[in-house]
Amino acid sequence: MSDDKSQGSTSHEAWGTRMGLILAMAGNAVGLGNFLRFPRQAAVNGGGSFMITYFIALLLLGIPLMWIEWGVGRNGGRFRKGHIPGMFAALWKHPAAKYLGVVGMIIPLTVMIYYTYIESWTLAFSYFSITKDYWGNTTQEAMVTYLQTYQGITPGSSHVTALGFFLVTLVVNIWILSRGISGGIEKLARIGMPILFLFATILAVVVIFLPPGPGGETAWQGLQFIYNPDFSRLDEPGVWLASAGQIFFTLSVGMGSLQAYASYLSKKDDIALNGIATAATNETAEVILGGTIAIPAAVVFFGVTGAMAIAQSGSFNLGFATMPVVFQQLPMGNVLGFMWFALLFFAGITSSVAMLTPIMAFFREEFGWKREIIAWSFGLITLLFGLMHIFWLQYGFLDEWDYWAGTFGLVVLAVIETILFMWVFKPENAWASIHQGADIQIPRIFKFIMTYVTPVYLLFILVWWGAQDAIPILTNAKSAGGGVLTPEMHPYVTGARLTIVGFAVIFAFLIRIAWKRNNYDDRAGFVEVDQSGRTTV
Amino acid sequence: MTTGAIIFMALSWTFVLGLTGWAFYRLLTHKKHHDPDGIGPAVPPEPPARGR
Repeated sequence: MSDDKSQGSTSHEAWGTRMGLILAMAGNAVGLGNFLRFPRQAAVNGGGSFMITYFIALLLLGIPLMWIEWGVGRNGGRFRKGHIPGMFAALWKHPAAKYLGVVGMIIPLTVMIYYTYIESWTLAFSYFSITKDYWGNTTQEAMVTYLQTYQGITPGSSHVTALGFFLVTLVVNIWILSRGISGGIEKLARIGMPILFLFATILAVVVIFLPPGPGGETAWQGLQFIYNPDFSRLDEPGVWLASAGQIFFTLSVGMGSLQAYASYLSKKDDIALNGIATAATNETAEVILGGTIAIPAAVVFFGVTGAMAIAQSGSFNLGFATMPVVFQQLPMGNVLGFMWFALLFFAGITSSVAMLTPIMAFFREEFGWKREIIAWSFGLITLLFGLMHIFWLQYGFLDEWDYWAGTFGLVVLAVIETILFMWVFKPENAWASIHQGADIQIPRIFKFIMTYVTPVYLLFILVWWGAQDAIPILTNAKSAGGGVLTPEMHPYVTGARLTIVGFAVIFAFLIRIAWKRNNYDDRAGFVEVDQSGRTTV
Repeated sequence: MTTGAIIFMALSWTFVLGLTGWAFYRLLTHKKHHDPDGIGPAVPPEPPARGR
């Protein structure tokens, strides 16, 4: 345990600049959900009622979890652990700790695989917009058919185009990852995030100043649709759960990637102000920009009733069918369409590259593999499993992974890390750890919130979602995607679940090998290593 | 837009933009030495004095 070899690889990376770090963290958080999921959730969950519960969830769940994840990550970094099993073992000196971290390995890998596929749709539609490929499909129904033809779902359609764009998207992702933290991810964030905000701002301004649509509605009526203060729905548990769920998705908490990014910071670096700056940047993208584009545009062209029907039909229909119909009716619509899908692409890619970071850290730190080899190996794995999503999309394969890993799994990981950091590691240690090198003093009320309120809130969500969704989905009484679960889909749904279980078994086995290989003593803990590779304890 | 919706929108936007503005004001005006590799000095080095 005392020599460097016994502590895994000595190679470690670091962020180049503080602004680069914040942009990368914000890029990780700002994703497709900010522009597609948020407006839909706000519209179908009572507008103003949703916004009240959303901000309460942000204060009691989102921001506390943001600080917890930065704290868990930087604490892991003290021992050169950029992966969740190592971070949990650093918090809890017990043999079971590292195996709890399996959840933090499965989630980023599985989400990265299907998220990259969805991200490739945005790249494809950027191209289809600028070349006016979907021009002529001027109704919602025609655009839904166009999207399904691209996805290979309609009879006689081919998967070739979707596969091509998936390959391009995957290669770009892996190439960035192979360049490392400072040379790849940070550079992407410094380029991608300003473009994303520029395009989103232009589109928001264009939507606000749209002339009245065929029914006389304006964008202001669209904003009324989101911000309508319908207090009667505040007593509905569903509204509280929807807002808590949105906070989870939007901040990318419970994913394992924020912690991995924070592990590349030293004890002298601030995480308190960085954490709140990241959350605030994400909220600007979501509330100010995300809320001002898709739904208000849909209200102008389809009316309030039409926009509500579109919102209820799903986020993808809103983004990939409704918006292209809108763009076809605007001057320079192909350029605006390109900007819409390009901003979604940058929102997606800055999130997807973050997802493989904890996996790469595990193989680098514990097995000494080279960054490029890990990146391209996992690129191949992503390709193989991505093919399942491409060919079995209509059978609910993607929905199943999205529910278990990208929805329920996030809450499971958040519960585990909150209990480990705030209770096992002790509130005093957690509070002191977050304030090491801090530029701000976090109001003391948050210590109470993080210790008691956030865990109870999380457990409530876990139990409620478990009873309402997880058990019915597991017993095939309900579809993970919200549609009808036909008998034809059962083998694919079961296969999707078994692949996740398979990932869990493989990661548990690899963790066991890594701990044996590096002679880790679970009860003694890791030796602290500074970022240059020197042991400091 | 109804008055209620305008109030909700104004409160939401003020909170979000206020939080973002405050966070970036602190980041940009209270510049702290960034030491990502953990081996740098505790304070940024002084610029060299200009010779006359």
